[in-house]
Amino acid sequence: MARSRKKYSSGQTWQAYIFNSPLILITLIFVFLPVAGTLITGFFRNVTFMPNKFIFLENFYRLFGDVHFWQSVRFTLLFVFVSVGLELVLGMMFALILNEAFPGRGLMRVAILIPWAIPVAISARIWQLMYNFDFGVINYIVIHLGFVSSPVNWLGSPVGAFFSIVISDIWKTTPFITIILLAGLSLIPDELYKQAMIDGTNFIQRFYYITIPLLRPVIVVALLFRTIDAIRIFDLIYVLTGGGPGGSTSSISLYAFKYYITGDFGYGSAISIVVFILASALAVLYIKFGNFAGELK
Amino acid sequence: MKEEKVKKILLYAGAIFLFIFCIAPFVWMVIVSLNKHPDFLSNNVPFILTINNYIQVLTTKSVHLLDYLRNSIIISLAAAFFATFFASLSAYSITRMNFPGKIFIPIALLGFSMFPQISIVGYLFKMMTDFNWINTYYALIFPYITLGLPLALWIMLSHFSQLSKELDEAALVDGASRFQILRKIIFPIALPGAFSTFMLIFIYSFNEFLFALMFTIDYKARTIPVGIALFEGLYGQIPWGYIMAAAVVAIIPVILLIALFQKYIIQGLTEGAVKG
Amino acid sequence: MKARIILILTVLLISISGIHCSKSEKDFTIWIGGAPEEVDFWAKLVSEFNKQTGYNLQLIRQPTYTDQRRQELVISLEAKQPDPDMFLMDVVWINQFIKSNWLEPLDKYVTKSNFNTDVFFQKVLNSVDRYRNKLYALPVFMDVGLLYYRKDLLNKFGYNGPPKTWSELVNESLKIQKAERKDDPNFYGYVWQGAQYEGLVCNFLEFIASNGDSIMKDGKIDLNTPQNEKALQLMTDLIHKYKISPLNTYTEMKEEETRRAFQRGDALFERNWTYAWNLAQDNDSPVKGKIGLTVLPHFDDNQSVSTLGGWHIGISRFSDEKEKAWKFIQFVSSYEVQKSLVLNVGWNPARKDVYNDKEVIAKLPTVKILYDALQHTAARPTLPYYSQVSDVIQRYVNDCLAGKINPKEALEKMQKEEDELVKIYGTK
Repeated sequence: MARSRKKYSSGQTWQAYIFNSPLILITLIFVFLPVAGTLITGFFRNVTFMPNKFIFLENFYRLFGDVHFWQSVRFTLLFVFVSVGLELVLGMMFALILNEAFPGRGLMRVAILIPWAIPVAISARIWQLMYNFDFGVINYIVIHLGFVSSPVNWLGSPVGAFFSIVISDIWKTTPFITIILLAGLSLIPDELYKQAMIDGTNFIQRFYYITIPLLRPVIVVALLFRTIDAIRIFDLIYVLTGGGPGGSTSSISLYAFKYYITGDFGYGSAISIVVFILASALAVLYIKFGNFAGELK
Repeated sequence: MKEEKVKKILLYAGAIFLFIFCIAPFVWMVIVSLNKHPDFLSNNVPFILTINNYIQVLTTKSVHLLDYLRNSIIISLAAAFFATFFASLSAYSITRMNFPGKIFIPIALLGFSMFPQISIVGYLFKMMTDFNWINTYYALIFPYITLGLPLALWIMLSHFSQLSKELDEAALVDGASRFQILRKIIFPIALPGAFSTFMLIFIYSFNEFLFALMFTIDYKARTIPVGIALFEGLYGQIPWGYIMAAAVVAIIPVILLIALFQKYIIQGLTEGAVKG
Repeated sequence: MKARIILILTVLLISISGIHCSKSEKDFTIWIGGAPEEVDFWAKLVSEFNKQTGYNLQLIRQPTYTDQRRQELVISLEAKQPDPDMFLMDVVWINQFIKSNWLEPLDKYVTKSNFNTDVFFQKVLNSVDRYRNKLYALPVFMDVGLLYYRKDLLNKFGYNGPPKTWSELVNESLKIQKAERKDDPNFYGYVWQGAQYEGLVCNFLEFIASNGDSIMKDGKIDLNTPQNEKALQLMTDLIHKYKISPLNTYTEMKEEETRRAFQRGDALFERNWTYAWNLAQDNDSPVKGKIGLTVLPHFDDNQSVSTLGGWHIGISRFSDEKEKAWKFIQFVSSYEVQKSLVLNVGWNPARKDVYNDKEVIAKLPTVKILYDALQHTAARPTLPYYSQVSDVIQRYVNDCLAGKINPKEALEKMQKEEDELVKIYGTK
């Protein structure tokens, strides 16, 4: 393992390893080991009321033919697509707004941090109350403003539940995207806009030809984080709908969880591995696409 | 001129909408928490202000609200502290020393940060059972440190890489050890970055749900997100008034943090994402 | 200086965390859930027990509904926790708990204290609590599904007694519902549990068993029959064709929801467990004195059947207070406590002798109905993977009730998935 350009004394290397050891150790034990363990468990029949047995790919075959599993995959992918898409649009809007100086901007920045900083489980309960069919404030407003004539069953119908979850998720995560985009916006030099204005462009043209291209790397990073995050959605759905009605809002993580708590660790592990592969695949896709876009510039 | 005016109106309208969008649920939470009947929007249900919900929720022992809060705060503090500390050590060595495999570490960590928790929780549960850590602080502190390390490392890396190496070199020449350099020179300068990291990891640990749900059983170690999520009727129907009161109490630490340290938090977030 | 502060803080943090890692405190706990009034009653029992024995048994409240109660227990048992020492188990969980090795065998305690197990219903003991000749749990109370009815309304409209068949129930409901709707637009003929949860399977079983069929035959799950189809069709028709059951039957109706509707006066008939009787006869109940209790209706040329429910008590194999836990089990199985169960909460006692008690018969004339119902019960499958089996039934029956699929399709799909489940979990 010759690296001719770097020279290091063994003393320095020794020190470096000491400095890094806590991080490496903890990551090995609490991340690497469990992932490997989960993968291996997926190859076993691991059920609380049956003896353990190595069944190799049987759990995965079962997964392949499991209608409810595929339903959860469809739901998760749809959720990710809709949610992250809407967040990006909204986040962009809000970032543009916050980029301008106006009175109360500092207060705004605190305000948008709050949804992101509160535990999902807690804000989910607030939303659960607001979506309540009989006395929730959302139905109250929607009826009194005349949008609908009778109360909407937000959490009790598959479509309603889907949108309820999306709305609650957007509420929580748009601030995060806003902050990231805002930071990116602040890096764009003002002169570019001033020049464009002199050249007689309007706002939309400036947005399309200056803002978007220069923001591209930031957008890709934000999308990457958010997509990976959205794939593993659990907290919100567990509290808001529990996966119902009838399993229609069960995300993949929730589906795996269900098997863990009814005692089938083997199958739950198999599902978890699939989530893992999905998230990794998406990450790889993004990085490739992100680089490609960067090279275009 | 016209465009200026239109832009201004849109701006203010947008700002107000954004503000309401963010704050509205909390306002609602507070209103319901102060009401005798959470269903006061139905017909024939009166709107009566009361602080009884808070009293009940804080004094009923079987609710364990303050226990949950205490658990959450201690666990999050510990996790944030150690994550920041370990990440700083690593970041320092990566930016200042050369050793085989050093590029590996940040990339590997970035990779690990994308692991969905569900993929780890099953086996981690078995591990925690074997260690006999279930329902103790350790069961959560260690995983939370691990969850926070990637972000912490990226932030501290970006901070340390901006600090000039000359300082180190001068001190080295003077015969100082690496540890002394870290303590006396680097640490004071890197403090703001470390503080941002600390804040962020505290918040993420405080909010974590899945691990807390599976690794804790009762008031001895249960954290507040799980406590509030599982807050069930003492009385059949969901006691929304109580839940909202408990929720208000639960988020006070976080709100305080943001109000006082929003600058650091935003800095940390953007550092992790934009410059990374 | 700063380093010192950090060092101190760190040590402090670790030591505080350490406090919560010591397991020197031996808690003596029992986990109990259910309707609020039930849990309150248990709280009284526990404090009575503590007074008698000087122990410090703590009652930990669990959620109301059975599925959530199980989730918490399973996590705790999978983690081999010393708490809870004891817990109540729904009759359908016991098989899984036994086969998962979570229950402490009770035989040695039984022989040591000369405990008489003959006073319990042997059929239940042998089919549920015993496995390979070892005893793992004891029943605390049985439960059966019953028909609650508004005596006053039936009399008002000229009926002599409660309906014996489903067609009678439907006709009476249609007539009375139409009339009562003039004053109470929320009035419905028959409220029962149709939401997607365990309770739905109990209702489903009652419907199909009252048509002479069942879930399991000869030890195999065999659902897809014409009789079951007819029963499932009736369930759907109650909501969509006859409209005597409300639309939220399949979205929201569980035990507490139906009980409140009936108690408010918004229903003519209700299907519920035994606990709802005492509450409906409470002083502040709008229907006090106006109601009657009987066995559920059946299809023509058939018999009434109730789903066998009930809760049993067991000691965790990981408990650190097993001797004390056994004392509580003896306490709960005693004649006096069993008698107070039926008098105060209206449950079916697990002890046979209490049913003949003069005071009980005097105070609770309905006890005879409870006893009769117990003679004609249908049990849900005794399988360790019952929760998965139940999930499948719940899902398709609920879909059928919601009008998404028809009964035949529902039963076919159910049977297909059950067959696969048996392949996965039913082998050695």
